[in-house]
Amino acid sequence: MSIRGKLLDFKQRLQDRKMYSIVIVVIAAVAMWGIYQYKHAAHLRQELDNQYNRAFYDMVGYVQNVDTLLIKALIASTTEGIAANLQEAWRQANLAQTNLGQLPVSQEVLANTSKFLTQVGDFAYALNRQNIAGKPLTDEQYKTLEKLHGFAVSLNKSLNELQNQLATGRLRWNELANKGTKLFSKTSAEMPKEQFENIDKTFQEYPTLIYDGPFSDHMVTTEPKGITGEEVNIEQAKQSVIKFFGADKVKSVDYVEEHSDNTNTIKTYSYRVTFKNAPEDQTANIEVTRKGGHVIWMLYNRPVQGENIDMNKAKEAGKKFLESRGYKNMVDTYYLKEDNTAIINYAYKQDDVIIYPDLIKVKVALDDGEIIGFESKGYLSSHRKREIPEPKISMEEARSKINPKAKILSSGLAIIPTEYKTEIFTYEFKGKLNNSDFLVYINAETGKEENILIIIDTPNGVLTM
Amino acid sequence: MRRLKIVIFLSLVFIVCFISSFEGGLVITSLSPVLSLGSTGKSVEEMQQRLKNWGYYDGDVNGIYDKNTFLAVLNFQKNYNIFANGIATRDTLDAMGLTTVVRSGAIYAEGKGVSDEQLLARAINGEARGEPYEGQVAVGAVILNRTRHPDFPKTIAGVIYQPGAFTAVSDGQINIPIDPNSTVVKAARDALNGWDPTNGCLYYWNPATATSKWIWSRKIVKKIGKHYFGI
Repeated sequence: MSIRGKLLDFKQRLQDRKMYSIVIVVIAAVAMWGIYQYKHAAHLRQELDNQYNRAFYDMVGYVQNVDTLLIKALIASTTEGIAANLQEAWRQANLAQTNLGQLPVSQEVLANTSKFLTQVGDFAYALNRQNIAGKPLTDEQYKTLEKLHGFAVSLNKSLNELQNQLATGRLRWNELANKGTKLFSKTSAEMPKEQFENIDKTFQEYPTLIYDGPFSDHMVTTEPKGITGEEVNIEQAKQSVIKFFGADKVKSVDYVEEHSDNTNTIKTYSYRVTFKNAPEDQTANIEVTRKGGHVIWMLYNRPVQGENIDMNKAKEAGKKFLESRGYKNMVDTYYLKEDNTAIINYAYKQDDVIIYPDLIKVKVALDDGEIIGFESKGYLSSHRKREIPEPKISMEEARSKINPKAKILSSGLAIIPTEYKTEIFTYEFKGKLNNSDFLVYINAETGKEENILIIIDTPNGVLTM
Repeated sequence: MRRLKIVIFLSLVFIVCFISSFEGGLVITSLSPVLSLGSTGKSVEEMQQRLKNWGYYDGDVNGIYDKNTFLAVLNFQKNYNIFANGIATRDTLDAMGLTTVVRSGAIYAEGKGVSDEQLLARAINGEARGEPYEGQVAVGAVILNRTRHPDFPKTIAGVIYQPGAFTAVSDGQINIPIDPNSTVVKAARDALNGWDPTNGCLYYWNPATATSKWIWSRKIVKKIGKHYFGI
């Protein structure tokens, strides 16, 4: 039958009333389905667009506020005035940063803007803390604040431009978001992206090392203090891996190729280890520093069936392990129990002072007490022989700074880390108030209350918050 | 008549497709479909309690849809411009806030609250299911490293849900139920407890599938499984 014949045949069949209505119904159903799907998709797109717009407008508002608050802080003459403005600037910068993270613009384009907002926030926060302590701004800090304000103004300007384009409909979020659509990739998609990039470029000249806040760049590149010793080669490091696990257990140690441009502050060798008493695919991963051959971390992923030893035995096993690997004077501080394993924190103790920054985490399998995890980044980055001074205030004086209603259970000396990666020498008091256990740290030199931690004692571990 | 059969068959196939396209989607159903005179049970009790709280109903909260309940529902419907027939339809129950969102279709993993651990485990599951254990911990560590880095949002949820940041989020793989025997939860815990096989990396990509040219401008630190990790 020719095509024409088929068509005629079909036409004839259509004349059959039943057939006709069935075809109509099917077409109508398909059309309705299509319309429904289209509307549904359009609706979802609109909702998404609204979310993007909300995040964007919110962010613009917060950036504007940061701008104003910074100038207010610069104008304010009293410490209280500066503190109040800076605190609010910190909050608003954080909110702006949160909203920035919700925009459908690729991260690399936003990175510097995000960094700027974080740094404004952290700087404001740090200054605010300093103000609360009664110390006024130094000239240098004042200048930095001025500079930051200048950047805030220019960011504000660029954002306003962008906002205008969005408001007049020349720009659409889905054009930014749909990077995949070829149609837009060359023309319109480039434009808005460039706009954001321009904003970002302003901040590329932004100095990276301007303050000592928690997120400043130089923190990322802190020189590890605990990594001592001579450079070791792959073979020497392999020997220390075998020693770490015990020669009687290790079956094979394979070096894992590193990328040559490993520019991390801590250079390492990686190994994959198999064991004599375990199946071939059950391996442990371990990394050893090139300098000194210290184990920086180890993970042995093996199933742990059942719980045969209690926490005290686990703590002992961890301590024995550390001692035999050359980590002397470590005391257990906190632990966490999950899935038949215990993660125990050990801190270094020097002359009866607990040094919390020198932290090693040990993961103990509770079926046979084997060590299946080890993490010593804290220890390696901060451990050294410290000159610990005599405390300037006595234990009693420090005790008197704590709420008299609290019951003190124990006390001692401790060095604690701050969020600025510095260390403070303190008295540590463990106490109880209204049925909650807490730790209070009183500066052993100034008597200032440095930190309060609430201890959560659960069946699964002792945690602090 | 053969054609007719084909057409009927096709329309049936079409209808089945149409219906199944909704399966697994989010549907709103009431706790109980429709309540009317003579209905009994806990849903009626809950409805009576609400109506009583709002002053439409002054009888006993006994779980029996009697005449008083009927009148109360009628009044409620009149007040809320819902077709007043004294039958607690879905619209009515909706207006009372007595409907609940239920997922049909796929079985979802039991969520023990939306904790960071769960979210991280889901992200690892979506991004690195087939990877070696070390690679799974590494993906978790990258997410955590980002929360501490000024260029990125500060929370785990903020980093994971940053638009375009992770393909597993963009294509919904993050919602895949976690296999209880898989290692991703353990990997998430290890990452949260501070194990970081990448030593501070902020990016990772699969060299075989990476579409962004930009990502190659990153410094490669390490290769674990199929992924490159870099800063």
